[in-house]
Amino acid sequence: MKSEEIYNAWKERRSQIDIRKNFADEVMSQIYRYERRKRKPLFDVNRLIELISAHRFVKAAVVTTGAVTGLVRIMFVVYAFLGC
Amino acid sequence: MTQETEVIRQVLQGDIESFRIIVERYERPIVRMIRNIINNKETCEDIAQDVFFTAYRKLASFDPARGNFSTWLFTLARNKSINTMRKKRPLSMSELPENSDTNNPSDELAEKEFLDDLDSKLNSLPLTQKRAFVLAEFEKLSYKEIAQIERVRIGTIKSRINRAKNELEKALKETWYEK
Repeated sequence: MKSEEIYNAWKERRSQIDIRKNFADEVMSQIYRYERRKRKPLFDVNRLIELISAHRFVKAAVVTTGAVTGLVRIMFVVYAFLGC
Repeated sequence: MTQETEVIRQVLQGDIESFRIIVERYERPIVRMIRNIINNKETCEDIAQDVFFTAYRKLASFDPARGNFSTWLFTLARNKSINTMRKKRPLSMSELPENSDTNNPSDELAEKEFLDDLDSKLNSLPLTQKRAFVLAEFEKLSYKEIAQIERVRIGTIKSRINRAKNELEKALKETWYEK
């Protein structure tokens, strides 16, 4: 085998590559994920509701906070009424 | 207006799916270039994926007046390869596909040895020479395009490629005479 043939065979070997079949699909899904993230608003009510209903403790915390806020508000109203 | 410029314009106008045309056209050259530079089969596709993702994000900054899209994309790939090599030293090259038509086992073995010697020589070249050589010999880019990617003068690229070729030739001859 001549040295030129070896050199060409070597170049041929290094030029052969196997790319995973779904390479383009993976790139495109990464891009679509990026676009979805970019377009998502900073405050999403539906997502917040989903988040609250998904966790028991978060649900309890929200109910407790609501109840305490309501009580405090009633107390303020009563205080203001009696104070006058 | 070239077809490529038209595709880029469509992507910039919000037709994300058109970017697939670019990915499918350049996936092989970009993966091959990265693989020939960093010598790591496992990570080269991940780096190439990152190259395309970066290209998508920075597509608006591509200026056709300053050069071809392929040159711009190869520049991104070159930069990602350099960053990867800075983080991690390359692995040895022993994983390339083997393709031999010879039936004689001793011939096959000798040929494999020659090819492996060339691999080792390529891996031992200075990175600037190696990149210039890979872009010229495997990706068939012009000296002008390589000079744009490497941000050096054409003369420098010519000299890097010649030195790389001489080294490889020397390695080939040494192995040849040893046999």
